[in-house]
Amino acid sequence: MNDLIIQKPLPIADGDSQAFWDGLKIGQLLLQHCADCGHVQYYQQRICRQCQSENLQHKAASGRGTVHSYSVVYRAPGPAFKQDVPYAVLLIDLEEGPRMISSLVGKDFDVLDFDVPVQLETIKITDDVYLPCFHVVNK
Amino acid sequence: MPRSLRGKVAIVGVGQSPSGRVPSRSPLDLTADATLKALADAGMDKSEIDGVLTGNAFASSFHRFSIALSEYLNIQPAYSNTLQVSGATAGAAVNTAAAAIHAGLADTVLVACGDSLLTGMTPDMAIRAMTESRDQQYEMPFGIPVANTFAMTAQRHMKEYGTTAEQFAQVAVTFREHASRTPGAQKTEPITIEDVLNSKMVTTPYHKLDCSLISDGAVALILTSAEKAKDYTNDPIYILGGGEYYSHEHIFLMPDLTQTGAVQSAKKAYEMAGISANDIDVAGIYDCFTGTVVMMLEDLGFCKKGEGGAFVESGEITYGGKIPTNTHGGMLSYAHPGIPAAWFHFAEVVRQLRGSCGERQVIGAEHGLVHTLGAGFSTQATTVLGTESTL
Ligand SMILES: [Zn+2]
Repeated sequence: MNDLIIQKPLPIADGDSQAFWDGLKIGQLLLQHCADCGHVQYYQQRICRQCQSENLQHKAASGRGTVHSYSVVYRAPGPAFKQDVPYAVLLIDLEEGPRMISSLVGKDFDVLDFDVPVQLETIKITDDVYLPCFHVVNK
Repeated sequence: MPRSLRGKVAIVGVGQSPSGRVPSRSPLDLTADATLKALADAGMDKSEIDGVLTGNAFASSFHRFSIALSEYLNIQPAYSNTLQVSGATAGAAVNTAAAAIHAGLADTVLVACGDSLLTGMTPDMAIRAMTESRDQQYEMPFGIPVANTFAMTAQRHMKEYGTTAEQFAQVAVTFREHASRTPGAQKTEPITIEDVLNSKMVTTPYHKLDCSLISDGAVALILTSAEKAKDYTNDPIYILGGGEYYSHEHIFLMPDLTQTGAVQSAKKAYEMAGISANDIDVAGIYDCFTGTVVMMLEDLGFCKKGEGGAFVESGEITYGGKIPTNTHGGMLSYAHPGIPAAWFHFAEVVRQLRGSCGERQVIGAEHGLVHTLGAGFSTQATTVLGTESTL
């Protein structure tokens, strides 16, 4: 039973990422838009990965995306995830361009496929941590 | 002419500890054991080693494994480092040792690694190994350790090229056949494609038998300059080319899920060696998962992009095929003690080029390739090796 109380790895915000984790608490997935070259990036850092400009603006993503790839996990990667299996991890292509790692809300793996549309759903983990997860959009 | 270390450095000693399940022996003990055997193989006294490169061991509390190993062996090297580029550490360490010797930083470098992932891990160490594998903010909270990153590349390969689960399974079946001829292999009982497909699903598309083993064990290689090599052995195996490539840290920033930085690392290694994939007689390819091998056969140039599955299915990676691969059985069947795993690929390819592999010998092998990689295809290191006849 000890397995159930082993802490999951929780994100610890740093100087680069505080705004990102704060945004999720109010339901926003913040992307960085470069005012100099137009590059849109996920994840948060001081400089644009394309032109090294510091002129970056946070904008909330639409939350719409598609599944680029996925894997349904049956064997937990350590005790902290044992109560969760099976679960699906996703590589999401966001409408704004960036790709991100996420996981599927729920266990309806039958609807999961390449390129299917998905929608953001923030999931509360603790009072301070909300994770950006996704569910498949029914056509 | 681009600078090159072609033919400047040779591997003159190879040794390995017992591997598989080896309880009650620390990573340092195993690595020292392998080192003493490599020294004996080279007919060399440890006083001649003036460089030590290692990877880190998860089941050891030492942060500077190369320094701790030197003390354990009572060696005081003039050149040392503990490298960390995940599964590519083996190739990176051999390339780096060769470069250091060529540059005059050391004359004779011990390149060794050992760990006891199977029997030596405390629960704390296991959690550290798990959580250190991926980014704590943008990956790990979703329950995605390194296995899932490789799984998602394989899934996409199936989608884009029609690669099948049966083709992936054939990799495991072939390497198991190879392991059955290798003394000391951890798994030797024959398996079929059905066995692989019927084994428990770990993370789609990978079943248990698509995944590498967990083992204890260590390997040591001794490299020295070409000038000194002949003092130790009649069969020096020369470094003909080395190439590496590091394309991303996060899996979501991998430029293309189905084409990896092995394309670039291999190109550089082949160019330095002055050969192409067609010239390679035997290969050691990092086989953390079956699909990894399929993708590497393509990116290393042994077949065209998208044809890796059919290439494996038609017997091209075993004896009589285009490129006999992992003739010792690889991480899928011989041993996978973590970072040291790919050192076994080097040991095997060196022995193949020496012609000392007995019933698993690839007849007449002169050019060998070892490709190591890690961290969801983030890190790639290729090394081309050759016999004296290739110089
Ligand atoms: Zn920019």
